[in-house]
Amino acid sequence: MSGQSTLSSASLVRLVAAREIATRIRDKNFVISSIVIIVILLGALGFQIAISGGDDESRIGLVGGGAGLEQALGQQGDALDVDVTVVPLDDEAAARAALEDDDVDGVLLADGAEPELLVEESAGGPLQAIVQGAVGQLALADRLAEAGVADLDLPEVGVRALDPDAEQDDQRIGAAILGVSMLYGLLILFGQFVAQGVVEEKSSRVVELLLATMKPWQLLAGKILGLGLLGLGQIVVIAVVGVGGAVGFGLVDVPGEVVGTAIAVVAWFVLGYALYASIFAVGASLVSRQEDLGTVLMPTTLVLVASYVVGIQAAGDPGGTLARITSLVPGLSPLVMPVRQAAGDVALWETALAVVLMLVAIALVVRLGGRVYAGALLRTGGRTKLREALAAERA
Amino acid sequence: MLEFDGLRKSFGANQVLDGVSFAVRPGSMFGFCGSNGAGKTTTMRIAMGLVRPDGGEVRWQGRALDQDGRRRIGYMPEERGLYPKMKVGDQITYFGRLHGMDGRAAATAAAEWVERLGLAERRNDAVEKLSLGNQQRVQLAAALVSRPEVLILDEPFSGLDPLGVDSLAEALLDQARAGVPVVFSSHQLELVERLCDSVGILARGRMVATGTVEELRRREAGRLLRVVVPDAAPDWAAQLGGVRVVSERAGDTVLELTDGTDDQAVLAAALRTGRVTHFAWQQPTLVELFREAVAVPTTQEVAA
Repeated sequence: MSGQSTLSSASLVRLVAAREIATRIRDKNFVISSIVIIVILLGALGFQIAISGGDDESRIGLVGGGAGLEQALGQQGDALDVDVTVVPLDDEAAARAALEDDDVDGVLLADGAEPELLVEESAGGPLQAIVQGAVGQLALADRLAEAGVADLDLPEVGVRALDPDAEQDDQRIGAAILGVSMLYGLLILFGQFVAQGVVEEKSSRVVELLLATMKPWQLLAGKILGLGLLGLGQIVVIAVVGVGGAVGFGLVDVPGEVVGTAIAVVAWFVLGYALYASIFAVGASLVSRQEDLGTVLMPTTLVLVASYVVGIQAAGDPGGTLARITSLVPGLSPLVMPVRQAAGDVALWETALAVVLMLVAIALVVRLGGRVYAGALLRTGGRTKLREALAAERA
Repeated sequence: MLEFDGLRKSFGANQVLDGVSFAVRPGSMFGFCGSNGAGKTTTMRIAMGLVRPDGGEVRWQGRALDQDGRRRIGYMPEERGLYPKMKVGDQITYFGRLHGMDGRAAATAAAEWVERLGLAERRNDAVEKLSLGNQQRVQLAAALVSRPEVLILDEPFSGLDPLGVDSLAEALLDQARAGVPVVFSSHQLELVERLCDSVGILARGRMVATGTVEELRRREAGRLLRVVVPDAAPDWAAQLGGVRVVSERAGDTVLELTDGTDDQAVLAAALRTGRVTHFAWQQPTLVELFREAVAVPTTQEVAA
């Protein structure tokens, strides 16, 4: 009896959870899927940087021309929302060298009679517009000066924004959609893990040996908790990489808002996972072979898919009736509420109600599902009906 | 003392156990016999808390078994079960921990058992890569790793080759010698007869016979005497009082003696005929006892 003691429920649950985690992190499929998710996330970030960052900056070489031209190029850049850097160059040879080295996007040769834009292949994007505008502006000023018109005061157009937060909202909704997509993927993935684990124990009959040392609910709790911690770890890593990357590369203007959305997504993952993992586990306990798993999980998977679709729809119309109602319905709320929260027009009571309803649903599923699970675990061969499982538990 | 006391269980209309009682002393080996579907597995599952009895209880050292008590039992289910993708060493360690050992003690004990059962080279292999015989050994190690106080094994010998049977028998005898009560079910009655101190025969939801094999023989078999007298006339025993001739062939005679008949008088009569090459009480095998015990008394009654 060396080193032996009585085990509390907590330590049993911990043992089961530790085995689940140890088994998964050694599982090639899990490792590969985790890496793929991070790679996709980094790819999405890179894509964002490429499309939003590409036109932000333009380096224009300048041969000849005066300070006036340099200033005019900068002004044109401002007007077109491009950050223009002017690089003074000595002559055309230097200009060619700079172009070949990709040091500049184009060179304005202003020392000859006619100004000329030298580029490597073609003047892409706003480059030609900037140069044309600057040269035109200067020429116009020269002609006006020749005609005796000086200090021409052109009226500047003032900008009055009707919805100054629109861009910020877009960013938060974008973050919420991305977050909800990840959440959806992880709920499906970890729900599947739980279900496969339950069936594996049933089909290999190891469950009889396990239940000789612990109660069904301890096994269920350990399994859900262990995989849940792993899922939570994964979504936190995703959130940190995603938000960190987005803020670090300057893709978002107000980091605080996006961080808030990320935290909401993580919190809803916890609630959504608790519900779906329990349902998946209970469903899986009814069958004895992995092949039969798809059939029993189908209804739940369909609910998940539906809530994902509704969640995406809510991004377009966060204040709509559909979004308002579905964001309160347990099971749908984890994928709809974060989007509405990101859009910012959710009353506190709505969030609170959604959370409470979700907790009630989880409690019901765990209570009822725990009985089904306990009744069905030792019934191998074929598919157990819900009613039989409940009856067996009472027997 | 491991006591099974008045266990009753029915599944729907099917009464599987109808008051099953027996006791196993520490250090003794109890062979649990019965036809298929007689209720052996249900009895063992009740002891392990996997099936809830309608009545009765199982006690160890005078206390009804609860979850903590069961943790001190080594169990091998009829349907063998291990995690197919888990490594041999890890798996045995895990079951040690589930039985309450701390991490280090479980790992040490697992390593010992892996060594002892000749699996040292397979220690880091997944269980599914092992042969069936080796998987059985891992299963045994999972039952023994926590040094259980009681062993309950459902058909532990099924599917083993003769060498496997011998090594498992040796392992179980070791446990019994160390003071562990061992209960196992088996259809291999010669094995039960060879290994067990006592035997229980389950039929129609009841224990129809319990005791040592010797006791069962005395109780069940009547008084059959085999006498071989090669030189005797065929009817040499016909005139003896209190003796019925069951069979006679070339002097090989089986006699049934009524109570109170002196077997020495029979021997004297036999000696009068000439040489006596064999004179012994007939030893019915456990198989014969079993047949007799589980025989359905009436045609209407069907063995449960």
